[in-house]
Amino acid sequence: MADPSTTVDASLVEDAATAVPQPISELESLRLLVQQQAAALDTFVKNQQSVNRGKKVGADGLTKKERRALKAGAEKNVEISNAKTNTIDESLNQPKNNVAVNSKSSKGKLQNDSSTPIKSQVKNHTESPPKADTQKSQKTLDAKIKENEKETLSKAEIKAQRRAVQEAQRQAKANQKLVVTPNNNNQATKENIKQNEQNIKLGKKVSPKIDLIKSPIKHRVQLFNHLYVGDFQEQNLKRYTLNKDIHPAFLQLGAQYLSRSILGSNARCLAMLSALKTLTNDFRTPPKQEFCRSLESTLKASITHLNTCRPLAVSMTNALRQFKLLLTQIDTNLSDNEKRSLLQERIDKYIQEEIEKAGEAISNEVNKKISDNDIILIYGYSSLILRILVDAQKAGKKFRVVIVDARPLLEGREMLRRLVCANIECSYLLINAVSFVMSRVTKVLLGAHALLANGYVMSRTGTAQVALVANSFKKPVLVCCETYKFCERVQTDSFVYNEIADPDKVVTVDASEKSSYLLNWRDNNYLTPLNLMYDVTPSDFVTAVVTEIAVLPCTSVPVILRIRPVE
Amino acid sequence: MLNETDIKSYFLNILNEENDVSAGVAAIRTLMKIIKYHDSGTIQGLLEDLKLGMEIMKNTNYPSAAITSGCGLFRRFITLAIKDTYTFAECQNVMLDRGNLFLNKLNASRNKIKKLACQFIVDGSRILTHSRSRVVLHALKEAAEQNRYFEVFVTKSAPDDSGERMYNDLRELKIPCTLIMDAAIGYIMESVDFVMVGAEAVVESGGIVNKIGSYTMALSAKAMNKPFYVLTESVKFSRLFPLNQSDLPDEYKYLPTARSGDLSKEDPLVDYTPPSYITLLFTDLGILTPSAVSDELIKLYL
Repeated sequence: MADPSTTVDASLVEDAATAVPQPISELESLRLLVQQQAAALDTFVKNQQSVNRGKKVGADGLTKKERRALKAGAEKNVEISNAKTNTIDESLNQPKNNVAVNSKSSKGKLQNDSSTPIKSQVKNHTESPPKADTQKSQKTLDAKIKENEKETLSKAEIKAQRRAVQEAQRQAKANQKLVVTPNNNNQATKENIKQNEQNIKLGKKVSPKIDLIKSPIKHRVQLFNHLYVGDFQEQNLKRYTLNKDIHPAFLQLGAQYLSRSILGSNARCLAMLSALKTLTNDFRTPPKQEFCRSLESTLKASITHLNTCRPLAVSMTNALRQFKLLLTQIDTNLSDNEKRSLLQERIDKYIQEEIEKAGEAISNEVNKKISDNDIILIYGYSSLILRILVDAQKAGKKFRVVIVDARPLLEGREMLRRLVCANIECSYLLINAVSFVMSRVTKVLLGAHALLANGYVMSRTGTAQVALVANSFKKPVLVCCETYKFCERVQTDSFVYNEIADPDKVVTVDASEKSSYLLNWRDNNYLTPLNLMYDVTPSDFVTAVVTEIAVLPCTSVPVILRIRPVE
Repeated sequence: MLNETDIKSYFLNILNEENDVSAGVAAIRTLMKIIKYHDSGTIQGLLEDLKLGMEIMKNTNYPSAAITSGCGLFRRFITLAIKDTYTFAECQNVMLDRGNLFLNKLNASRNKIKKLACQFIVDGSRILTHSRSRVVLHALKEAAEQNRYFEVFVTKSAPDDSGERMYNDLRELKIPCTLIMDAAIGYIMESVDFVMVGAEAVVESGGIVNKIGSYTMALSAKAMNKPFYVLTESVKFSRLFPLNQSDLPDEYKYLPTARSGDLSKEDPLVDYTPPSYITLLFTDLGILTPSAVSDELIKLYL
């Protein structure tokens, strides 16, 4: 399993990442999940044994019905335990499963099948006895199942099961054919595996119907319905993690985005660029194809995968656009190695110019505006703001920093840690108290996710509030943003385009509160927590935008977009 | 080669003798003079000399906002446009040519502005203005020549009472006008139709730096929903982005003689009016909204 900080250039991420949010709890929930799955698997294996023996009461002394109920419970647990970590777990586990399947380990199959238990129960059964008499035992088993389960299952379930049974029969037939030619045993198992994989895909068509019955409550805020990605994400992740075309660096990156262990516009872009470099390095041109063209198509799959894990940041989209443009412009007469090194060189140059040097220029510019005895208010974490403040401290300016923080990410704590390490005088408070301190503040510095073409600023949720309060106190608000984060999109609210994060992060309950209804909000029809990632700050609240080119009013963003050499 | 006192006296001479020349234009003419009489034979030496010249002019007792922006633009257009292929003599000539072109354009700009602003002065207008601005005076004169009937209110504008000079100039032109106290801005505001002021510098935000009291006037005009018009040449556009009053550079706010002492007790000479209080800017580039100023500046400098 991937450790978030191993392959991505650790120093880059360390520098720019907001790699804060509680990796411990993440790990814990992951472990919990694995445990739950293990439990589910355990009961499942036991079940299987009892089915094989053809007894109605298993080794654990439970009847079939009871066991099914138990298993359903376990499954529900897995579902409920937050959807996000679930998918991470899968994305991380899946490659391993893949290997397991390839090495013909039946354990791998079991693990794969655990997502569609009813069907796989049947299927596995058909596989386990010697292959000669599969069909016969299959039929008897079918009859048994029908008898046993007719009364207890709903129509949809029966339907699903019938389909699964048909599937199994088809497989059994195939098996029978294969038995005739025992020399091809190796191939047979291989085909088995292929079919198995297909079954997994087919299984998806079956499972949603079952899911509908099991989880009737859809916790969605109507207004943001278009932003929910849950089911879609899960399905796609399964498909993509089985896809060989995706470079492991991107798989890992996807998992890191998903778990939010790489956070922040700059950090995400840097991580992606470094994965891009790895891909360029490892990429071998398929026969009779051109390097850049085939790289582009390979890249496409990887990017789609990243996009499913978490929607691409504007910074990433812009960087990718540049990279793709480069791919089309590159001289086709060069050798693959030359192309490779040229591409990597250009990626390095992009990082250097658009992120590093831009940061330096912005820091210089803002430092001119920081004077002695300033009280600077900042919100959350931004690698750029950190750099500016540390530079100002190095320049010998005497100022104080007020860090405003907000749940659920609590990024400000990392900011606090780093600023205090740099010997800067800080105070820390939550966003509820922002109007209280604002009267004492002299300047407000904010980072940005993106700057939109109408001059509005897209940033972490809460930024708009801070800017609003600052504006009502008539304090200057400076937004610091590199021009590579500028975006042609126009947006006036946070509804149209946004990102929904794990709602469980919003409802964390104090440990002393044992029976809060927030704890089991999933059972409550009238309770839907919403965790939005970004908001949009109107340009009226922003005094100036500091870019590496100039200090600008928000209204000049389109001019910069126009003069920026893109395409 | 000009020495320090030569530069200073030449610059002050222009301002003293020619009433109609602004500090920015005077500064540019002085820089031209420096180029003309320079004889070190190297570009680098010339650039050093120009830099020195700017410092000298900034340290005269004239407010440095206009000088700074004028010199900045001059440098951008003339000095930075040097190509390596020229010999020094050729280079000097190219610079002087460009400089003259630039000055001619500037001289024409005032005429353009007064024509633009004139359309907004209609019969029966009551106009409030602050301090003395040559461009505003020209525009009012133009309107009077077109036989428009309008009335002007001029503030006294302490501490240098430049409003009194404006009042006298208007009286000479037979334009009906009234001199009011600085403290009467709020009182008079309800009765005027719009405010028309000049500017010492136009900054990147689209706001202006002008004689102290302009901000008060803009605030009061905003409260009364009266349009606040600024008449200014594009030579006054400068690369500065003040966040608030205290962020204005000291050399803009105080005379060099005062800058050595305790500034907290010193009265500032200029203030900054943020773009949100300005309705329109009349420039030789056309009638601009404040947000268009920074667009123009980006075009000029990038």
